[in-house]
Amino acid sequence: MTISEPISEVDVEVTVNGQPQRHRVPARLLLSDYIRDTVGLTGTHLGCEHGYCGACTVIVDGDAVRSCLMLAAQVDGAEVRTVEDLAPAGADSLSPMQQAFHDNHALQCGFCTAGFLMTLESVDPTEWNEPERVVELLSGNLCRCTGYQNIVTAVTEAWSAYDGSGGSDDG
Amino acid sequence: MSLDIDSHIRHSTRHIGRSVPRREDRGPLTGRGRYVADIKIAGMLEVVLVRSIEAHARIVSIDTSEALAMDGVQAVFTAADLADVKTFPDYIPYIGPVKQRPLVEDRVRYVGAPYAAVVAVDRYIAEDAAALVAAGTTYEPLPTVADLDQALAPGAPKLYDHWESNCSFDVAPHKPEVDHAFKQADHTFTETYVSQRQTGLPMETRGVVADITDGTLTVWSSTQSPHMVRSTIALMLDMPEPQVRVIHPTIGGGFGTKTHIYPEDIVVPWIARRLGRPARWIEDRMENLVASVHARDQRHTVEVAYDDDGTIRGVRCASMLDMGSGEIFMPGTAPVFVTNACITGGYDFENMEARTIGVVTNKTPAGAYRGFGIPEGAFVMERIIDRVARLTGTDRVDLRRRMLLRPEQKPYVMHGGGRLDSGSHSESFERALEMTAPALERARSRYADDPDVRVGVGYCNYVEPTSPSYHLTTGHWGGGDAATVRVDPDGSVRVAAGLSEIGQGNTTAAAQLAADMLGVSPDDVTVVLGDTERAPYGLGSWGSRGAMMLTGSVLLASERLVDKARAIAAHMLEAAEADVVLTDGAFHVAGSDQPSVSWAEVGTAAWIRYVDLPDGMEPGLETSGYYHPENLQHQLDDTGKINAAASWSNGTHIGVVSVRVSTGEVRIEDYLVVHDCGTVINPALVEGQVHGGVAQGIAGAMYEHFQYDPDTANPRFASFMDYLVPTCAEVPPMELDHFESPAPEQPLGVKGCGEGGTVGPPAVVAGAVSDALSQWGVDLTECPVTPVAVRAAIRAAGTAGAGAGS
Repeated sequence: MTISEPISEVDVEVTVNGQPQRHRVPARLLLSDYIRDTVGLTGTHLGCEHGYCGACTVIVDGDAVRSCLMLAAQVDGAEVRTVEDLAPAGADSLSPMQQAFHDNHALQCGFCTAGFLMTLESVDPTEWNEPERVVELLSGNLCRCTGYQNIVTAVTEAWSAYDGSGGSDDG
Repeated sequence: MSLDIDSHIRHSTRHIGRSVPRREDRGPLTGRGRYVADIKIAGMLEVVLVRSIEAHARIVSIDTSEALAMDGVQAVFTAADLADVKTFPDYIPYIGPVKQRPLVEDRVRYVGAPYAAVVAVDRYIAEDAAALVAAGTTYEPLPTVADLDQALAPGAPKLYDHWESNCSFDVAPHKPEVDHAFKQADHTFTETYVSQRQTGLPMETRGVVADITDGTLTVWSSTQSPHMVRSTIALMLDMPEPQVRVIHPTIGGGFGTKTHIYPEDIVVPWIARRLGRPARWIEDRMENLVASVHARDQRHTVEVAYDDDGTIRGVRCASMLDMGSGEIFMPGTAPVFVTNACITGGYDFENMEARTIGVVTNKTPAGAYRGFGIPEGAFVMERIIDRVARLTGTDRVDLRRRMLLRPEQKPYVMHGGGRLDSGSHSESFERALEMTAPALERARSRYADDPDVRVGVGYCNYVEPTSPSYHLTTGHWGGGDAATVRVDPDGSVRVAAGLSEIGQGNTTAAAQLAADMLGVSPDDVTVVLGDTERAPYGLGSWGSRGAMMLTGSVLLASERLVDKARAIAAHMLEAAEADVVLTDGAFHVAGSDQPSVSWAEVGTAAWIRYVDLPDGMEPGLETSGYYHPENLQHQLDDTGKINAAASWSNGTHIGVVSVRVSTGEVRIEDYLVVHDCGTVINPALVEGQVHGGVAQGIAGAMYEHFQYDPDTANPRFASFMDYLVPTCAEVPPMELDHFESPAPEQPLGVKGCGEGGTVGPPAVVAGAVSDALSQWGVDLTECPVTPVAVRAAIRAAGTAGAGAGS
């Protein structure tokens, strides 16, 4: 690796939580650092920066991704959603999943929570609401505080309206 | 002192004992929590530490010129630059002094030891520069010791030249009654039990931000103990304590690892002071795995004397702690003492002779991890009981029943001086057995048709010392905590305490306590924790102390506040003080329909309308309480015993496992917990502590293991790919039940519950797998119980037979 060479920069135009963003950033800037430091949304957390713990999960064009494994340059032209986008804007209320986490004591230190919420937000509940599927879905996110039980309970509760036939759409 | 909970409750809708929703949730749920890494200050510089890649070496030279030549690099500091910084104190007299410098001076003793600090305008540049400093470092490697045997071998390379050997301490009490027991007993056996190296691993790594303005140094640290960090920074940087402010913002878990005061807690503030600019260091995960303390690395050599009927007559246990390099403040020596103090669990067993040894090796310094030595001891005791049961043909459950403490035996003094004032030791076991019966039935029927699967049960009856003394751990601090309660002119309540909030819900619990004691709604209570400038001196959150310390200190302060407020209200009501009562936020004359006086009226009189105060009364409505638990001792008594915990919670864990014989795969089918932490402030929070603790215990029982190369003491782990943290797919469902045996001498009977969950799983899993594989004589003596370990045990037992007694 030649680290003394000048660092090249790239232009990034991206929509983050519905807001257009335009920045010239170092080519090597991670998406996670772009979101946290350049855009200033610190709700996305870095738990390992090697793509394992899932804390930095955000949604890029509908898919959950680990923002520590992507470059900012790769989201040029994309739509990015972060945890800050989940609760209804301006209101004091929470999204149904956030509320279910709160009601079921599904977070303690809260550092991993955004990653869980974004993983959940990225899928179609009708395909994932069976308890075994919930466990499968969440097995890519580490939590060190809760022992997971209350998280699974919260998800099951929030998705209880989905009977698997796509009957509800308020999740 | 007798327990009189009701006299302190002044709210008709009692909040203590209810799962009041957490006020800590909203920030993290909406992405608006504020962790250390979220703090950004104009002009802030980024710090990256350069760490040793050698396990043991002299640093011959460090060439920083290439790094300093990089654009954006502000400075590179090494130990020589920090000559004006004092050494970390060696407060404990009986352990080998390590004279730790914030940056290693000339000799590194573990991979990960920090020896230089790079400061740059951004993290990317700082990392690049750190790589250049690393490349510019010349080492002279020294021979390494990677484990206890190597460290204690004759002629072993020494970590500290001024020590006689690598042994830091060796405390060996002698008990003649144990000798006697061994002479009398029918049989003896010896065994070695091993607990492997793990770590607390909070999802948020450590971090420090420092800024100095107008002579005041403000430090945001992901610490569990802000006041202790303040005192240590002030000492080492030679600053008056009032000029140092330490804040912990939102903390992403600690689990003991953040109780220590690390080099970065000193180096980053020093950099901010030296450069006159704010500075930030955020630990990355790979650093975290080598630079935050490890734990649980213990080996226990036991001799057990027992009779034909299964009675265990005496045990000698030499507990040996692998301290790593020992270069950590406070030292990581205390857990092994706790292991020995708690080793007999909830059992009536006094004939224990426990020797405690600490040894340094070329590995990451060992320190605190939730459980703090208790799981290691519980593992030993439960494995001993199972072994004796097997050797004598005694039923494992009956043997435990015979040994468990019964209600009439309390208060009971343990072999090391621990005072079990109350608890449900037998009752918890019986209740857990009831819960186990259907679980066992389910597992047996599930695998009835699968000859490759065996089902087994494992047991653990433990005690959990709560609100311990910190004196034996730190050699310096004690074990109390303070709170200040204030009622403002508008009647709002503010509680500030030295406790920390690191995820458990202490902020919510403090609001519940103050609400009940002052007769207001929790919504009317503002809670301030984790800020040395806004809260009184406290030792922070560790040692299952939050609930008891908050209760004690908030209660003391609240009672004083109510006394004063009652005098003011009586004056306003023109009544005798003794006739005025406080209920639901209103002071009124008992039995009278006269209008009442509210907290707002009392608060306004106290702070603003002095004309409404009784003659001669000092204005103001703010009181403090410094709580120190009655039974808590800080030093050994004449007989070498100590009750180093204010109270002792207890519990039973039982696990039902299935083992696939052909692959060694272990599955926990059901995990049952009955626990007793005295009066419960918030059941949801307590259950959350149990769930999380058990999950961490299972991590240690089955997955997590820091392994080192025996020849080089190099870590064989670098990431989450190697250090296996359980996901929700590995953590089984848990079934919980509770007893509430109030601590007779604590305010409201509160004990504490932070650590107990971690205690049971190693003993339970090893016991259950050994039970499942009993036909092969498998008797596991160490964790983690991996498929490889299970298969090896089956093969070994199949060839050697079961470990037999003499």
